[in-house]
Amino acid sequence: MPPPGTHFLRRSATLLVALKVVAACAVVAGPAESKNEPKTDIATLLRIQADVQKLLPQVRPALVAIQTGGGTASGVIISPTGLILTAAHVVGKPGRDIRVVLDDGSTTTAKSLGLDQATDAALAQLKDRGKPWPSVNLSREIAKAQPGEWCFALGHPGGFDKARGAVLRVGKIVKQTANSLHTDCVLMGGDSGGPLFNFAGEVIGIHSQIWENRDQNVHVSMAPFLRSWDAMQNSQVIKVWGVGAGGYLGVATRMTDDVELEVADVIDGSPAQKAGVRIGDVIVSVNGTAMTDQQQFTATVKAKAAGDTLQMKLRSNGKERELAVQLAQRPQEDSE
Amino acid sequence: MTNEARNLNDKHDAASSGGVRSLFLRRCSAALFLLCPALALAEVPRPTLPADDRTNGRHTLAAVEKLTQLAFACAARIESLLGRPVCSATIVGEDGYLLTKASEVPDLAKVRVKFADGRSTELREIRREVRYDLVLAQAVGISGLRAAHFGSARPLTLGQWLCSATGAQREARIGIVSANRRRVPGLGAALGVRMDEKVPENAKGVRIIGIANDSPAEAAGLRKDDVLLAIADQPVAEFKRVHEIVNKRQPGEIVEVRYLRKEKEETCRVRLASRTKILQNWEGEDFANGGISLRTDNFPDALQHDIPLVPGDMGGPLATLDGKIVGINIARVDRVTTFALPVESFWTEIQQWVEADRHPPKAQAAE
Repeated sequence: MPPPGTHFLRRSATLLVALKVVAACAVVAGPAESKNEPKTDIATLLRIQADVQKLLPQVRPALVAIQTGGGTASGVIISPTGLILTAAHVVGKPGRDIRVVLDDGSTTTAKSLGLDQATDAALAQLKDRGKPWPSVNLSREIAKAQPGEWCFALGHPGGFDKARGAVLRVGKIVKQTANSLHTDCVLMGGDSGGPLFNFAGEVIGIHSQIWENRDQNVHVSMAPFLRSWDAMQNSQVIKVWGVGAGGYLGVATRMTDDVELEVADVIDGSPAQKAGVRIGDVIVSVNGTAMTDQQQFTATVKAKAAGDTLQMKLRSNGKERELAVQLAQRPQEDSE
Repeated sequence: MTNEARNLNDKHDAASSGGVRSLFLRRCSAALFLLCPALALAEVPRPTLPADDRTNGRHTLAAVEKLTQLAFACAARIESLLGRPVCSATIVGEDGYLLTKASEVPDLAKVRVKFADGRSTELREIRREVRYDLVLAQAVGISGLRAAHFGSARPLTLGQWLCSATGAQREARIGIVSANRRRVPGLGAALGVRMDEKVPENAKGVRIIGIANDSPAEAAGLRKDDVLLAIADQPVAEFKRVHEIVNKRQPGEIVEVRYLRKEKEETCRVRLASRTKILQNWEGEDFANGGISLRTDNFPDALQHDIPLVPGDMGGPLATLDGKIVGINIARVDRVTTFALPVESFWTEIQQWVEADRHPPKAQAAE
């Protein structure tokens, strides 16, 4: 028999990364808050079912399958003019032509607009077809998507399949973070970019990532979309965000095979670039504290406000050097 | 389909003062975007929904507790002779008739059935039906069982709650009808080997150049560089022939493989799996979180649901929230998919087999 033409990610990679994530969660999550919710009864489940079934015909036509050169994913139309929300890792960059399959199987094309690589949010625009596109609304009340709320997900896991149709999942919100929602609506490859809905039929999330367990499904929340709407509509690429009160450095990092923290990217015009941080530098220490992983580095930088100075010890080509970086106020947006 | 499996890891790490980072791996050779684990997290502590309150947590499942005790009285476990769980079964006659997943139990002499009341006995095979991947059997010397109370699967609609039992403790799990009911086409069976396409002159057979992890070939002990000589007594001179022989068989079927290892001829028995399962999990990846059934396709009529089950739960009953059994779980496919056979697709036929077995035609007395 012919050998396999398909190849998924390596197991070890998943596991390794996932374990890291779990460890990080355990450290930061702390004791879980119990809402002391009473036990669910059948009436509650049946109400959820009735609501989903009532909303489904309204929201389903807005779901699309997206086919780029590299693979298939999902997306959702959120305006009659044909604006699509999807995930940044689906479209990759602005100005890309993508093939779009609607719920009824008909196909059309769209162009990718801007994207936020830091949070995995992206916009695309369907071409004009002379009549309104089926669309849904997005939720502007981000704070309402709290743990314990029921929600439902649509998507095309494994790619568009006419006989199967869209795949529905019903579940609960497990966690809300600054830019994402975690739910137990189980996702898989091909779901990327698809919509998560609340029970008003509004989009509250865009499928982005899965971790090791079935309960670990991550969606981009509406926060990054709303925050950078104009920039994304103008086809800008957002690489970094200054979240909270933390100062802005402008460095992307990665872990090397030797488990060292390395500078993967330096944003043009950022404090890091001005101070002389270069791609490929190993970050040895910050303010005298040895840096061993990305969480620690990020937390260290975030703990400092704009205007504060970081003493960074870097190493490149076996030589160590020290430099001082004064953190800036504003995140930079970078357009391609 | 390319010969070399491609692995394209498109890494994009972006940790910044913003604290957001991502690592995305893309599978590019085959038209699918994979969602992947994120690296480093540095978020402020956030309230997290306790496991008990999640969709399949204890507090939510309290809703179906009473119902499931009743609905799953018709479920039984199939175990190996050593007591290892093999799969599940659905009782269809109080006198011991039951259905289970055929491809999981190629030889009923090697398993026993264990009922909820603790009784355990051997099984007598009555009929095996490849179309449904079901086997009808009778538990020997058993009576007073609670048989499945079948309802109709026809009125089921997308989004409707369903429940099934999982694990040896028969814990309830809930999920929904998650996609259209449909025929699931079959892509045939496979061994899980990659073979040399160039056959050197004087070659005696087909050389194995790769073995899929967690595959039938691996389980049977085949190795790289073994030379396949014959499959099911049919000589094989080139890889296409191997493919022909294997592909038209059913997943779960056992074939005898004769091969050459270090100039010595040996044989082994390989239990085939669905080609789709092998292709999607070449390196033993577990995208289903708990394993994938040997046979995952080629069903004339299938319900798709998202109840979190494992392959060992297949063969067991699928119930609605009003306690009607509407199908039998038949294949755990991937992270989001389980297939069940809807009652209407098999029940009329099975009832006839049960009746025929209960009342065999009287032997004509010789005059």
